Amino acid sequence: MKKLSILLLFAVFALTGKAQNADFSGYVRNYTGVLYNTGDLSILQNTFDLDVSKTGEKIGFKVNPMLYHYWADSLDLRLREAYVDLYFKNFDIRVGKQQVVWGKADGVFITDVVSPLNLTEFLLPEFDEIRTGVNAVKLDYYIGGNTLEAIWIPQFTPTEIPQAGSIWYIQPEFPAPATFDWSKSEIKPSLENSEAFIKYTALTSAIDFEIMGGYTWDDNPTMHVQKEFAVNPQTHQPMLTGLNITPEHHRLYLAGGSFSTEIKGVVLRGEGAYYNGKYFQSEDPTAVDALIQKDYLHYLLGVDFNIGNVKLSSQFIQQTILDYDTNMLNPEFENTMTFMARYDTPSDLLHFELFSYIGLTNQDALIRPKITYDFDDSFSILLGSNIFVGDRDGRFGQYQDNSMMYLKLKYSF
Amino acid sequence: MKNLKFTSVLIILTMIGGFNLSAQNLTGKQIIEKVYNRPTGDDQSSILTMTLINAQGKQRVRKLNQFIKDNGTNEKKIMFFTAPADVKGTSFMNWSYTSGKSDDQWIYLPALKKIKRISSDSKSDYFMGSDFTYDDLGDRHPNDDTHKFLREETLFGVKCYVVQSIPKDEDYMYSKTITWIIKTSFIGLKKEFYDEDGDLLKIMDVNSSQKISGINVITKITMQNKQKNHKTIMSLSNVKINVGIPDSKFTERMMMRGI
Repeated sequence: MKKLSILLLFAVFALTGKAQNADFSGYVRNYTGVLYNTGDLSILQNTFDLDVSKTGEKIGFKVNPMLYHYWADSLDLRLREAYVDLYFKNFDIRVGKQQVVWGKADGVFITDVVSPLNLTEFLLPEFDEIRTGVNAVKLDYYIGGNTLEAIWIPQFTPTEIPQAGSIWYIQPEFPAPATFDWSKSEIKPSLENSEAFIKYTALTSAIDFEIMGGYTWDDNPTMHVQKEFAVNPQTHQPMLTGLNITPEHHRLYLAGGSFSTEIKGVVLRGEGAYYNGKYFQSEDPTAVDALIQKDYLHYLLGVDFNIGNVKLSSQFIQQTILDYDTNMLNPEFENTMTFMARYDTPSDLLHFELFSYIGLTNQDALIRPKITYDFDDSFSILLGSNIFVGDRDGRFGQYQDNSMMYLKLKYSF
Repeated sequence: MKNLKFTSVLIILTMIGGFNLSAQNLTGKQIIEKVYNRPTGDDQSSILTMTLINAQGKQRVRKLNQFIKDNGTNEKKIMFFTAPADVKGTSFMNWSYTSGKSDDQWIYLPALKKIKRISSDSKSDYFMGSDFTYDDLGDRHPNDDTHKFLREETLFGVKCYVVQSIPKDEDYMYSKTITWIIKTSFIGLKKEFYDEDGDLLKIMDVNSSQKISGINVITKITMQNKQKNHKTIMSLSNVKINVGIPDSKFTERMMMRGI
């Protein structure tokens, strides 16, 4: 019945689009991954992406359902985007579910905070699939070639995290038995709970830049921890006997910007944001709920350049907690680098790419080589690998057992 | 994503005639300068179709809509890709300057929903798998080469100047080019490209042209790689010249909207 409903839904999308003489595009993709360690399949996914859109002089729309089929019989229908555009002389309005992408960074999310992330498969999905659409009203006001953008989001959407049972789920370790109270983790849609963002974008001959600000919710819930103690009958000292954990989202203010410019054939990029009022875990016994509130900076510098016909790109990223307290569980500085190399053969049929995250603080890395061959203009085959190495306490090293190779077959239409 | 690093496409295809100069004693450089300095209109729009044909005769087609505006000191171009399917919605914008400043280039990838500034420093890359490099498609300045008038010759029944051009940069991808230029119109009719070893690499032939809004526009051109037995046919349709394309066409807004 569920399958039938989904098919009907796609048929409605198709008929609606046809009635409006809309453009159809999309793809069908098979994605199969195998773990190096065990030989087990890490993923078996079939995807149908349908993009129905039309752009007219004064109005446009887009509907982008995506159907994921996992393993034997598990279906996941997602509406990535569904919005209406209204075009005026000096401004545009977009209403509906939409993905918003800000900033100049590649694979790093600093000012790009409007659309939350789907991290159920860590950072492995394509960057267009890792962002979740949000229900929003977006206004773009144009001043010459520059743009002032304002976004209002009445319904908060948190980061999607892996569920227990997923190979990407990391079981947290607690010093005592923990119980969770999820009653405060949901943010009800209301005017009071809205999020708002604003951005000014300039695209000029000398430099491109963005300046942004946001009044938002922390996409990741803060863990409020209440500790239970009892007296150890042998030592007569207090001992930790349990933890009551209440996940709760908190407000976050941020301001930042980004730029890119070209100097003698090298594109120089930068992006940074100041986050105000973020809660961090603390081991200070006097800290209320084992939390401490601090501001932090997140920024990067990157370069893109060519050597011969090979395109190269590298970024240095730092996250710095200001007014650091040594009782905090997070490090004061967390440094990461990315590296990308890409070569397209002259025929444009064969593409080689290597993308890596390198955790400098924890000495770990995610290395992602891939080769794509375009059989023709519609059909391509991609052979790739995701290799996690380094310290098991690191963001990437913790997934050492999930190193895999994979194959993607894709038909675009 | 396919290799989408772009530069001027229309330049090579829009060449004006109308010169009636007494050119008997022109040097190679003067002939090339007359080709380079020809007026091309204030703005133009068209649909560009590239058909790539490999040694086995298999064809691949790339299609895009493009708009160009020249205000005298800079030239702005924007291209919207419509085929093949996996690059549909991609747009590319290029601003070039008569001052000699490097081009500014941006690409919009609809899947990423992001405009990226890209380096214009890859002139020897092939454009979308075609037989044209970005430099082939660009507006190469006469001062970049040393030109030598070789001879006059009749090609396809048309009287032409034949000019040899040797790049001043020894690391340039071609060791020399030889161009056949129509005497009466200063339109390039044929061009041969020689590789670094001095062997013939590619031949470019003009196949057809039309007069549009008083300007001769080449509407079909073929580039054949003689070493790989691969060729690309580039054709223009729906060409409009001097229609008053507004500056607002060459902005972030239009790159993302896609029309």
